[in-house]
Amino acid sequence: MAALRMSPARLAQSLRAAPISPAWKRTMASVVPPSQTSTITEPAPDKDAKIKTFQIYRWDPDQPTSKPRMQTYTLDLNKTGPMVLDALIRIKNEIDPTLTFRRSCREGICGSCAMNIDGVNTLACLCRIPTETSHQSKIYPLPHTYVVKDLVPDLTLFYKQYRSIKPYLQRDTPPPDGKENRQSRPDREKLDGLYECILCACCSTSCPSYWWNAEQYLGPAILLQSYRWIADSRDEKTAERYDALNNSMSLYRCHTILNCSRTCPKGLNPGLAIAEIKKGMAFA
Amino acid sequence: MAAIARPTIFHRACQAAAGRRMFSTTPSAPLMTSAFTTAKPLARRPLKAALLRDALPKAAAFHASGSQKILPPLPQVVKGTANDPVPVPSPHPTHGSYHWTFERLIAGGLVPLTIAPFVAGSLNPVMDATLCSLLIVHSHIGFEACIIDYFPDYRVPGLRTALMWILRIATVTVGVGLYEFETHDVGVTEAVKRIWKA
Repeated sequence: MAALRMSPARLAQSLRAAPISPAWKRTMASVVPPSQTSTITEPAPDKDAKIKTFQIYRWDPDQPTSKPRMQTYTLDLNKTGPMVLDALIRIKNEIDPTLTFRRSCREGICGSCAMNIDGVNTLACLCRIPTETSHQSKIYPLPHTYVVKDLVPDLTLFYKQYRSIKPYLQRDTPPPDGKENRQSRPDREKLDGLYECILCACCSTSCPSYWWNAEQYLGPAILLQSYRWIADSRDEKTAERYDALNNSMSLYRCHTILNCSRTCPKGLNPGLAIAEIKKGMAFA
Repeated sequence: MAAIARPTIFHRACQAAAGRRMFSTTPSAPLMTSAFTTAKPLARRPLKAALLRDALPKAAAFHASGSQKILPPLPQVVKGTANDPVPVPSPHPTHGSYHWTFERLIAGGLVPLTIAPFVAGSLNPVMDATLCSLLIVHSHIGFEACIIDYFPDYRVPGLRTALMWILRIATVTVGVGLYEFETHDVGVTEAVKRIWKA
């Protein structure tokens, strides 16, 4: 409120127009028109070309003082594959080789290409490009992550948390037949919907609780993995696994918001897994 | 209100602040200083005309985009190496599983207690008292969860403690108030009955 105590002279001075810098107009990321960014134009578009516009989040760690910005690219959908990852790869190959993103398997198995497409965390390789060309697609990195570059988020904390739940079989007794740890068919079926998780971090980064308390709350992906070992009939350290979660932060910051189940690109249900953990601990 | 009256001042201050925030990797430095120390000896101009021409359009811009981050994220720190697990807290069932079970029991118990007096059509002071006490505990746990969520103790330990005490004082005050209301007035159920005109 120092502003209220200014002398009239200073008031007049400050009223003199200061040109609004472009940086002020948008606080988050500014939009650069395609005319300034596209280095190669499509060669003479044919009549039935379906030109789709993508706005992609760009930030370069080599220029740490520059703000993140949205860069516009246009593609002819007739010459592009059906998925967003196809579009990204085509942009990188043909328009702008500096565009950076993770990708590997292009079929929803590796979880590398997790990003925020049109407001939804999903895998670029499993997300179809919306075909209506009047609508621009916006692509951001996973929300509330530290960005390494462009669409590449830093998942160090995510992996450190995954390591903390000991994601491997823990047994003290050797298998009865000395060969392998056998499991009945119903016991094996308890792991369906859990073992398919590919740790793409889409669910964790869509969880508001994880946004606010990522340092202490484990997040839906890690808790689903934790339940995958709790539910495993061959694992003998269930009590220890429960104990590791039995504090106010690790598990109980889940408020059943269920963004995790809504966004999971593999169609899993982390919210149910967390509820099962809570139930198991309540009646333990 | 003040912002509408003196938009350019605020605009300048915020611009300076925004500029500093944009070009620095640390959380924002003192905001007001740079905007006002740069003022030079002045030429007077008609104040109203200047307001109309310069200030009002900017006021719109200011109100459309002035976002002040609350508790902005700190620069990334990786504790230990990237291959170390995050530390696992020691088990506290009173803050964990017992707390959760207790909370669910209370929330579940509130449902029949809320409906019962209206279904039965009769008033029972014991039931009213139970409803009041469960409501107090329920709201206390709810607000406590808000404080734990939004004021992490590794960022704002002082504020967290202060808010927890404010919440405890508020809960006790509400408890005393409800006790008075129950003993010297009509009580919660009857009050709802009288207010509810649906």
